[in-house]
Amino acid sequence: MRQNWWKFLGIAILIYTVIVGMSTPLKPGVLRIDSLSVGQGDNNASITHGETHKFRVKGYNTNFLDNDNRAWLKLDSIGSVKAKAVNVINDTEIDLTFDIPNHFPARDTFESLTLVLHNTEDGAAILPDAVFVKSDLTDIENNAEWKINPISNLTDKTGMQFPYRSVLHETIRNTFFHIPLWFSMFILLIVSLVYSVKYLRSGNLKHDIYASAMVNVAVLFGILGIITGSLWAKYTWGTFWTTDVKLNMSTVAMLIYVASLILRSSINDIDRRAKLSASYNIFAFAALIPLVFIIPRLTDSLHPGNGGNPALGGEDMENTLRMVFYPAIMGFTLLGLWMSSTLIRYELIKDKWMTRK
Amino acid sequence: MYICIMNIVHIWAIIKKDIDIELRQKYAIGGTFLFAITSAYIIYKSFGELKAMEWNILVWIIVLYAGLNAIVKSFIQEKKETYLYYYSLFGPLEVIVAKLIYNYLFTIFLSFAVIGVFSVLLGNPIEDVGLFIKALFLGALGISSVFTFVSSVSGSSSSSSTMMSILALPLVLPSVLIMERTTAVAMRLINDSEIYEDLMILGGIDLLLIGMIILIFPGLWKE
Repeated sequence: MRQNWWKFLGIAILIYTVIVGMSTPLKPGVLRIDSLSVGQGDNNASITHGETHKFRVKGYNTNFLDNDNRAWLKLDSIGSVKAKAVNVINDTEIDLTFDIPNHFPARDTFESLTLVLHNTEDGAAILPDAVFVKSDLTDIENNAEWKINPISNLTDKTGMQFPYRSVLHETIRNTFFHIPLWFSMFILLIVSLVYSVKYLRSGNLKHDIYASAMVNVAVLFGILGIITGSLWAKYTWGTFWTTDVKLNMSTVAMLIYVASLILRSSINDIDRRAKLSASYNIFAFAALIPLVFIIPRLTDSLHPGNGGNPALGGEDMENTLRMVFYPAIMGFTLLGLWMSSTLIRYELIKDKWMTRK
Repeated sequence: MYICIMNIVHIWAIIKKDIDIELRQKYAIGGTFLFAITSAYIIYKSFGELKAMEWNILVWIIVLYAGLNAIVKSFIQEKKETYLYYYSLFGPLEVIVAKLIYNYLFTIFLSFAVIGVFSVLLGNPIEDVGLFIKALFLGALGISSVFTFVSSVSGSSSSSSTMMSILALPLVLPSVLIMERTTAVAMRLINDSEIYEDLMILGGIDLLLIGMIILIFPGLWKE
């Protein structure tokens, strides 16, 4: 019992991941904005300067009722215009009326405005590029109308929430499953590589069984990683499968390791099988490095962090996510080690019985 | 541990023996080239006219499969007793280096043959010959070294031809993809000012693979 503490730790961490990762609410956000004064669909193209426009805003996780709702349309770095009238319909729907200023310090013929919503209970909710405004005046100097009611007194909602991201919505929780699965797959493959090297140095069959069990579980985790990623892609990118380089390279990596399992099953002589699969395992890991770490960095990818820094720093992650994400990596790794240790015990017992007969 | 002294004379002897066998059994080498020509002819008759990108991709696919068929036998063409004899004569490093060099030369020869057939039948879209040759030499090194390693692994398993293709094709994919990209640049299909970085990466992958083979092979050869 005492040497099994890490199994319980892993399961406890995974239970924590599922409970906290699934039950923590998202921050309030803005789902969509529709113009009521212009017909739906092509509303954005027909908004021009100097007009009064009424918009219906759909919020997500918001509490508009009985709150002092304020709203702005923000023109980047120049200023903002405050809503003239705010008309609450229910908790998630609100009507906003804006006077679009006549003088429009626009540099382009279309200028995108960012919607900022605020009330004391929800804190601030932001929708970038909410409204596009057409302007033919290019009076860049006159921006007084934009400075009358600047954005002020913004607060944040208190308590633990996950960030609201416009494309991700609730699927942001997949961060705790998709990415940790890949991480723990890699950890398992590295451990398996170590055992393969150990086998080639010592010739101890136990090490070969260790290495192959780790590869088995790593392949399972990789397939689960592909499935969770594919489902995520359906809800964010629109299809189950894309031409994204990272996706296809990790599929090839899976093919390499599945091939190693087939190689194992094709050889009957135990010593020969161990030697060949250990050699192939080392070689496969060497081939994996360009596949997963070099080629995806050469081309553009839809994955965060490609064509730039890895996705764990800066604005890509928030601390509330990290609180679940890092334990999830540990939890999945411990689960993988447990699964492979079970497989190892099964193989060792099988081996013992085979040699006895 | 092995005393790994490489003797150039020994390596040359093994290469020469391989070439001799290849020339004596004309069916093997003839079969490989006939395979390449037949596939090129099928492509010529079914496509009619080929875009440069398709030309590029099809050339490498044919080289890949023809090379796979040819190199699969590099460790199984002779009897087990013959290998025992080699084992007494040569060190493992000499054997693998000789096989690598021989398969490398064979792959390059094969690529030029396929490109020649394609050029005659379907035209030649290569604009920057220097870059194309560089990409070919580096890519062929990656392809031939992976095939050599995999043939040494799958050599004695029962169904080695199927085994070889499922083991080797995913492993050569990085080299082939980067090589295709580079040759596409050589045909002016893509613009890339940092193409020499790609060549460096291709060379780096080659070095990684060859290094791994040289590390691993002595253990395999002991059998």
